[in-house]
Amino acid sequence: MESNREILVCGEVADGKMTTTTRELLSMGRRLGDGLHQSLNALVIGKDLQEVAKEAILFGADKVYSVDSASLLEFHPDYYTTIMGKVCQQIVPSIILLGQTDMGRDVAPRLAAKLGIPVTLDCTELNIDPVTKEILQTKPVYGGNAMAVWVTESNQPQIVTMRPRSVMADEPDPSRKGEIIAFSVRIDDSLMKSKLLETVKEEVKGIRLEEAKVIVSGGGGIGSSDGFKLLGELAKALGGTIGVTRVPCDEGWMSVNLEIGQTGHIVGPDLYIAVGISGASQHMAGCSSSKFIVAINRDPEAHIFKEADFGVVGDYRDVLPALIFRLKELA
Amino acid sequence: MHTIICAKEVPNPEIPPGKFKIDPEAMRAIPPEGIAPVMNPYDERAVELALRLKEKYGGKITVLSLGSPASVSGVKHALSMGADEGVVLADHGFEGSDSFGTAYILTRAIQKIGNYDLILCGRQAADWDEGLVGSIIAENLSLPLVTLVKAIEVVDGRLKVDRVTLDGYQTFSVPMPAIATVSNEVGRPRLPAGWGIISAARKQVPIWSGRDIDADPSKMGAGVARRKLAQLFIPERKSKCEVLQGETTADAAIKLAERLRESGVV
Amino acid sequence: MNPAFARYGDIPGLVILYGLFIVVLGFFVYRAYRLYGFLRLGGKEDRFDHLGKRTILFFIWVLGEWCTLRSVSRKDRAGIGHFIMFWTFILFFIHYGYLFTWGAWHDSRLFNLANPFSVIFLSVLDFLALLSIVAVVWALIRRYIRKPERLETNLEPAMILILVFLLMVTHLVGEALNVNLLRETSGSVIRVAFAHAFDGLSQSALTTSYIIIWWVHLLIFLGFMVYIPYSKHLHILTALFNVFFRSVRPKGALIPINIETADRLGVEKIEEFNWKQLLDLYACAECGRCQVSCPAFLSGKALSPQELIKNLRIHLIEKGMSKGKPTLQLIGDTISEEKIWDCLTCYACQEQCPVCNEHIDKIMELRRNLVMVRNKIPETAERALRTTMMRGDPWTGALHLRTDWSEGQKIKKLSKAEHGEILYWVGCTGALDERSMKMTLAFAQLMIQASISFGILGAEESCCGDPARRMGQELIFQAQVQRNIETLKRYHVKKIVTICPHCYNTLRNEYPQFGGEFEVVHHTEFVAALITGGKLSPSIGVKKKVTYHDPCYLGRYHGIYKAPRAILSSIPELQFVEMKGNKRESFCCGGGGGHMWLEENTGKRVNVMRTEEAIETGADIVVTACPFCLQMFEDGIRKKHLQESIEVMDITELLQKAI
Repeated sequence: MESNREILVCGEVADGKMTTTTRELLSMGRRLGDGLHQSLNALVIGKDLQEVAKEAILFGADKVYSVDSASLLEFHPDYYTTIMGKVCQQIVPSIILLGQTDMGRDVAPRLAAKLGIPVTLDCTELNIDPVTKEILQTKPVYGGNAMAVWVTESNQPQIVTMRPRSVMADEPDPSRKGEIIAFSVRIDDSLMKSKLLETVKEEVKGIRLEEAKVIVSGGGGIGSSDGFKLLGELAKALGGTIGVTRVPCDEGWMSVNLEIGQTGHIVGPDLYIAVGISGASQHMAGCSSSKFIVAINRDPEAHIFKEADFGVVGDYRDVLPALIFRLKELA
Repeated sequence: MHTIICAKEVPNPEIPPGKFKIDPEAMRAIPPEGIAPVMNPYDERAVELALRLKEKYGGKITVLSLGSPASVSGVKHALSMGADEGVVLADHGFEGSDSFGTAYILTRAIQKIGNYDLILCGRQAADWDEGLVGSIIAENLSLPLVTLVKAIEVVDGRLKVDRVTLDGYQTFSVPMPAIATVSNEVGRPRLPAGWGIISAARKQVPIWSGRDIDADPSKMGAGVARRKLAQLFIPERKSKCEVLQGETTADAAIKLAERLRESGVV
Repeated sequence: MNPAFARYGDIPGLVILYGLFIVVLGFFVYRAYRLYGFLRLGGKEDRFDHLGKRTILFFIWVLGEWCTLRSVSRKDRAGIGHFIMFWTFILFFIHYGYLFTWGAWHDSRLFNLANPFSVIFLSVLDFLALLSIVAVVWALIRRYIRKPERLETNLEPAMILILVFLLMVTHLVGEALNVNLLRETSGSVIRVAFAHAFDGLSQSALTTSYIIIWWVHLLIFLGFMVYIPYSKHLHILTALFNVFFRSVRPKGALIPINIETADRLGVEKIEEFNWKQLLDLYACAECGRCQVSCPAFLSGKALSPQELIKNLRIHLIEKGMSKGKPTLQLIGDTISEEKIWDCLTCYACQEQCPVCNEHIDKIMELRRNLVMVRNKIPETAERALRTTMMRGDPWTGALHLRTDWSEGQKIKKLSKAEHGEILYWVGCTGALDERSMKMTLAFAQLMIQASISFGILGAEESCCGDPARRMGQELIFQAQVQRNIETLKRYHVKKIVTICPHCYNTLRNEYPQFGGEFEVVHHTEFVAALITGGKLSPSIGVKKKVTYHDPCYLGRYHGIYKAPRAILSSIPELQFVEMKGNKRESFCCGGGGGHMWLEENTGKRVNVMRTEEAIETGADIVVTACPFCLQMFEDGIRKKHLQESIEVMDITELLQKAI
């Protein structure tokens, strides 16, 4: 399949607005488009997409394909795969960009298998080789311990998912103009191999991790679910929220919905305080885009100190009360 | 119900952070001496999930592993957990396959085994973290697919499957046969118990070659891969951490608060 | 005169005598037979090896009463009382033996006065009877008024003591009356002296009294005989056998499971224990010594070794008598899972037991069933087992590799050629735990200084298997053993020195069970020899007060007490003080029996209790010789917030300061 030389970003919609990740993808897509002299188009799927489509144009899309239907309000992998498949078969993009999100990581492999084209998931960087013009896809491997750079044979359509927060979203350009094309796909039960019974959103108290400016995160060193009360106090004092690594989830101390890491939330707060966390790559993958990292750990040799900007060696039960006290004083 | 599990052997991911080394020429990891490869942790959770289904609904579990003759130890581990049969796929012609090639080989083996109700794969492998093979097998066999699964039940002859999302989960109803990729939220995989270990030691694990599964060489192997690995490197860590000291830990904490204030972080 | 010859109404005394005797014997034999039958429910076990050794030990322990004399101390002199009562019983046994055979038809005393032996025998008999009265009174006061911790204050011991008291009193009174009847003036001094108390009685009064007392005495004795197999006094028979059939295996060698032929893994039902393990249940005299030396019990955990034995006995008898009807579950009802995990395998119970009971084996078999059959294992222990299976060490989350401690040091890997090099077996804790690595290096440096040619296995060393075995996972243990024996044989290893008493025990005593025979030395023995041999000369004074903690697996298990103390005494200016519980009575640090990987959820922490004992000595440094103990004390001192005032060191680290 020879490409039509356009880049397609498959966007996501949340609460009637375009997600931050989609903005990041459009910014990335714009850079690639400019570098490869290709146009950037977007595909949005959902219900009542007028505003979203306009937003996509402001963020860099030349054309926006809109598949608007009430049955598409909730994400369903079979529907999305079919729709994206039909769109891609029609327009044959050179690169299909998705976010490494619940949707992207599910649909991208299916789409790649369906179209028989190569795919690389969870990229943190996409660069254009100056000579060959091939896309250099950088992604973490070995649980984040190393980075691999993959290259696909050129002139081949390919799919790439980007890790959220690995690209800075550009500012929208209110002067941009573009085309919104309504794409109709017949949506009925025959598309559906698996039936979605329900979507359960587990109550997350307070600020969403992805939006928090301050996160106080606890790991195996906390020792018990009670220990997290202190972290909660610190988070409150700083106007932030609590996160966890894999260990407290496995131990049952805290909910798996708070897990930050390669297979959990990817966050980028202004301040990330890692308490009782060893600093294993699997976790660092989730928080490395934080602006400042503070490490509090009993073990002076803990790997986290190699990742942090500031650190204190000590038992969190001794460190946190004093820290909270002084921070309140300084506030 | 008959469950087939696709398992892969990977270098043991549980090594001390900072001890990870790679060979940049050969472009692969160099595991520390004396530490043997293990079954991919997500695949092990697939085995655990299959065992829970077997305990509840009866049936059989077959473990497939694409690798080398040494992969037999990983399969034996699954057998000692309670799986019934195991097969290793090893052949020079398999080497260098990408996810598409791997999925093709596994598909051929699954077709040879046949008679399955459910195929389980780990969501990704702890070495290359691709997360593709399960989905490609689904497409190859035209099976309904649910990814990132944490729980499965059988309800009225269909599978009720819970898929993990960032802030909760989705429940799907899926006819059998189906395929699912398994995530770590399944929980801790059981330790092999006594009789499991003893009976597994006595079982034979056959090794199948490309011929045994009627594999078409043009669909697998290094030559067919459509991506190339251009580079493998260990990212540089910034080790400019300022460790605050004090006479007591509380003193150090106070200094930290002050330092954060100074730097404008808070 | 012999009251058995008299006629009572129309019935000859002999008929009553033998009649009673046969009835009682009948009860006794019936009960004994039933109990024996329950024993036979158990499995096979060969305890007929080392017959010579067994006989010698039997003589010392039983006839020499070493069983209880060895535990005589200022605080507990019960052993002396027991010695008296034991020999009293032996002589009375001979006395009754005569009475019911020859003595029934002739003079009712063993020998008549004309025989010189009789004077000696009867004098000793009376003397012991008198001493026994004193001992019994002392025992009653002690048990029921002074109430020492290890003794129960229920009815059964009181009954036994009172019966013995009455027996002795009726004996002395009876014989005193008889002396007057027979008008003897010489013979046993005591009875002759007591006879004066009855000088005023007429002949007929004497006769009547004597006959009454004689029969009362007989009845008490017969009653006692029936009571024996229904009470803890059964130990007077069963303990004899138990001591003879005691374990002559090395203390630290658990019973291996033969994977090829095993039809069970661990014990789930009482009859799955072997006959000797069941005999233990009958031999228990409920002395309580095991309980008051058990660190689990003393720290408030659910387990009591004494209660374990008692409950198992009750369970056995109940099951035996139930004739196939459903009874209580062994695991769950009779002994809870919690108790099975509480045991630290410290050996304090077995060390104290006067009847050579083996508590640890039973708990281990139950633990094996929990882990290998029921898969019920605490999470932290399960993780350790998993990591052992996958990576060859129990330290999940370790931040080091085995090769880290020796990096940059002049320490070489063992060569494969047969050079007679000694292998320095480091162990998992010594290689992977931050604190213990210092100890590992210290010993290596001492060896280098002493010009010892040694090598290490580095990354080829794999867990010796002790944690897995003590956690009940015999299969993971055996996999580790096979792996290590293969490595050791490949390197033609003959002699091994190790810093860890657990590795020491397993390599030395348990590897031979699987074909691995090596000469194994612990680093304290090794270093002590280096000092006496002049290869190491501590010359720098260390002006500190130190105390030494005897690791369970070094001290009680192997009797290595002298070597570490010799090392300490070789350090100039060092002041040494013993802890309250030392040598045989050392109190476990809390790390054995897999407990380095188990959480304590009830009572006081064992390591904190032992740390408190160390702090009591006023020492500046607590010295130990085991990486587990080292960690446990470091943790204990941190918990007491005394890091600034007390240090914990391995003995080699301290010695290094003096060289």
